[in-house]
Amino acid sequence: MTLVRLLFYTMSFIAIGSALYAALSKNLVRSIFIFFVTLFALAGLYVIALADFVAVTQVVIYVGGILVLILFAFMLSGRETLNVIEQHKGKFINMAKVPAVILAALFLAVIVNIILKADADKLPWVKQAIAQKNEITPTSSTIDNIGVNLMTTYLLPFEAISVLLLMALVGAAHLSRKEGRA
Amino acid sequence: MGTALLHTDQTIISYTIAAVALPLAASIINFCLPVKSKAAGWISTLAILVGCVLSAIVFARVWNQQPLHTQKLWFTIGNTKVFAGILLNNLSALLLLLVSLIALPVHIYSTAYMKHDDRYSRYFTYLSFFCFSMLALVVADSMVLFYAFWELVGFSSYLLIGFWFTKDKAVQANKKAFIMNRIGDIGLLSAIIIIFAQFHTFDIDALFGQHGLVKFMGPDNGQWAFAPDRMPSNYGSVWTRGAMTTLPAIWQYIACAGIFLAVAAKSAQFPLHTWLPDAMEGPTSVSALIHAATMVAAGVFLLGRVYPLFTDTELTVLAVIGCFTAFMAATIALTQNDLKRVLAYSTISQLGYMILAMGVGAYGSSLFHLATHAFFKCLLFLVAGVVIHEMQHIKEENNLDIDPQNIQYMGGLRKKLPLTFIVAIVGSLALIGIPLTSGYLSKDGILIQAFEWSEGRSAWLKLIPAGALFTSWLTAFYVSRLIVKIFFGEFRLLKHHPDIKLHISDGGWQYRVPLILLAVCSLFPLFSLNPFFYEKAWLFESLKPAEFMARENIYHTIIPIGVNILSVFVMYAAYAIYVKRNTFSFPQTGFFYRLSYNQWYLDKIYKKVIVKPILGLGKTCFWFDRNIINGLIHSIERLSRAVADLTAWCDKYIVDGFLHSMAALVQSIGNFARKFQNGKVQYYLYSMLLIVLVLFILKILI
Amino acid sequence: MITLTDFLLVGALLFCTGMYMIVSKRNSIQVLIGIELMLNAAILNLVAFGKYDKLNNGGQVFALFAIVLAAATTAVALAIVLNVYRRYKTIDPDEIKNLRD
Repeated sequence: MTLVRLLFYTMSFIAIGSALYAALSKNLVRSIFIFFVTLFALAGLYVIALADFVAVTQVVIYVGGILVLILFAFMLSGRETLNVIEQHKGKFINMAKVPAVILAALFLAVIVNIILKADADKLPWVKQAIAQKNEITPTSSTIDNIGVNLMTTYLLPFEAISVLLLMALVGAAHLSRKEGRA
Repeated sequence: MGTALLHTDQTIISYTIAAVALPLAASIINFCLPVKSKAAGWISTLAILVGCVLSAIVFARVWNQQPLHTQKLWFTIGNTKVFAGILLNNLSALLLLLVSLIALPVHIYSTAYMKHDDRYSRYFTYLSFFCFSMLALVVADSMVLFYAFWELVGFSSYLLIGFWFTKDKAVQANKKAFIMNRIGDIGLLSAIIIIFAQFHTFDIDALFGQHGLVKFMGPDNGQWAFAPDRMPSNYGSVWTRGAMTTLPAIWQYIACAGIFLAVAAKSAQFPLHTWLPDAMEGPTSVSALIHAATMVAAGVFLLGRVYPLFTDTELTVLAVIGCFTAFMAATIALTQNDLKRVLAYSTISQLGYMILAMGVGAYGSSLFHLATHAFFKCLLFLVAGVVIHEMQHIKEENNLDIDPQNIQYMGGLRKKLPLTFIVAIVGSLALIGIPLTSGYLSKDGILIQAFEWSEGRSAWLKLIPAGALFTSWLTAFYVSRLIVKIFFGEFRLLKHHPDIKLHISDGGWQYRVPLILLAVCSLFPLFSLNPFFYEKAWLFESLKPAEFMARENIYHTIIPIGVNILSVFVMYAAYAIYVKRNTFSFPQTGFFYRLSYNQWYLDKIYKKVIVKPILGLGKTCFWFDRNIINGLIHSIERLSRAVADLTAWCDKYIVDGFLHSMAALVQSIGNFARKFQNGKVQYYLYSMLLIVLVLFILKILI
Repeated sequence: MITLTDFLLVGALLFCTGMYMIVSKRNSIQVLIGIELMLNAAILNLVAFGKYDKLNNGGQVFALFAIVLAAATTAVALAIVLNVYRRYKTIDPDEIKNLRD
């Protein structure tokens, strides 16, 4: 049991536990804030997966952008939504959720089954990458390589994403305008 | 009849048809007129006047000639051909003329008598219809046709008795008359059927004519068969007319009984006579025509038609019944106070005479009396009509509460109604049978022949002529009483109401002419130039039986003299009793008085013996129907309802249930499918994911 | 050493949790959180596989793209939520049934 493994399990546990809490909580505010925890734990998992740049981006965009947006939406959508939702508190097991639970569980079983069958560590291309030393090691730095790649190999998707973002911004701004002039 | 008719015969036939059909036409026209139309009376009168003239021509041509008979095929049932036609012989020609002749004055009289009635044209509709039925009855040649008109006569009589149908008594009376006549009709119908079964024909001429079948048949050895003692000289040709059937003799008796029943009902003979006094509820003019002169004579006419059917014994029975009826009705007439009831019982009594005459073989005298009686009895009824009319007039003018028909209130009217008084005297003398009147001729004929008939028979049968004789004195008494009470003495109403005014008179010409006409016809010259010997009457001479005895025995002298002398005494006695009131006074409480006054209690006996048990039977049947038959029906109904309920249940829950469950299944499938389209985004997503999952699972498993 | 399978299992768990949220939650914002969870599960997978592409860094780059796209998605989605709220006075997806037959 190495420290890395311990960290991995801890992070995994935090991520999955907080996600489940967010899923099961009937309180919107709590599920939003516990979602922070999930995101942070995931960022940690990325680090363990040797993707520190992605982990940083995760924290910046998600925590800094998306969650703030979600909070905004929550606040703008008014208080009464909270009240309506809290009425269902009394029921511990809500029968309406059972199909969803079954669906999720079955999906999980299927996916786990596939993952175990696929045995990702023995995939030919993974083996090949290990053999050709095309594997990121904990010591290697990847950020410069990512920057180069973004501007060379992935330039087209990069630009497309930027246009898409612009469009999304414009669309979001348009949609959230007040009615009346529409 | 295969022989071609001569031209003159055809004219006579068409005259006859016209005479019969004219009243029918008048009736139909009147029916279409408004109910108050005054034209109705003159239409009917004109029709009967023309009919009268035609009848007279027919009578003149047919009288004492060969009978005329024409017929056409009416309908065919199987192999039986039923003919309809006209039979004109002495009898029918006489009746044809008589009915028209009596109907004419009555029509004229009615135009005045019914003037103020609300349903004037209806009255003449019925009256003309009656005349049509009666005339057709007289000339019909087939038993079927005869029966039909017999019924129609009864029906129109029913209509006229109940003409004032708002009076409860009139309705009761016409019901009674109708029911009594029904009893007789049953008899006639069964007689017709039996005769047909025996002789295979309805033809009256073939049955009862000169060479009729019936003559040669009689009860013999328990069979109604060919009677040797009636054998005709040329009988061989006779049997070619119809197939020969032999019925047991009992059927002959039944047929005769049926005919007698019909006669008794129509001619008001004991025991079916009780309807006639009640029938006086109709208008008086109707009583004069129908219930005194014509319809009641139909029974006698029927006897005349079927005369050959009766055997000697049966004729004796007829004579006994006629005699009894005559006597009984005369005794009842003695004490009645209602003017028209007295005349009604007198009519019954005189009809009894006619039946008696038929029974003793005085066929000609019977019909002779029928004719004379028609005139003088019609006259008396019309007189009664005038008197009642005037009494009604007094009653209305002075607001009195009296019965205008009650003779107790009358008296001394001879000064007020001189013409009426005179003709009433004529009519009464004719009824009593005083010489110089027609009644003398016919009635003495009957009495004399009755005595002749009783010669050489058992002592008991001698009672018949004796009874008839006694009855004629009774007749003298009650007629005198009636006349005296009405026309002599003081006007009794003045005793109780001294201040009433009497504005009465004989009435207009519509009253006077018929009265005078009928009074003239009631005298002897119309029938015989010799006022004393009935044998010389032309009518009698044509109808008398072949073996008629001439004036060879003592009865022909003694009886008329004896009868008349005693009658005059009786009349004087009546006059003395009712006018002077000083010689003799009847005890009004005695048994005989009550017996007579209550009409021998016959009505009450009928009520107790027949009406009540029948009503009781009706009630029992009603109860039976209500509780047992209806109960049964109800239980069947309940059973079927239960079956129906069961079926309905099966239908509802099994058949329909199956269909409904099918429908519900389809519906639930539809609803199930519909749920996927509930507009919820999450549900769509869920479905999609589910399908993906299923695909995955399938992929893994396969 | 942490194997690829471990990451994939964690990702699968997160994915299923997100799926559960999407399907069952009765609040649009929570549904959105479910979507983010699923996206993150996918990103985790990308990152995990990206370890074996040192040369091109395909996994990590696509992870970045996915993050950016998630941000865009969220922005638009939240705008829509606001609009929906304004129109229906609710953000319960069950109550919005205009797609119904």
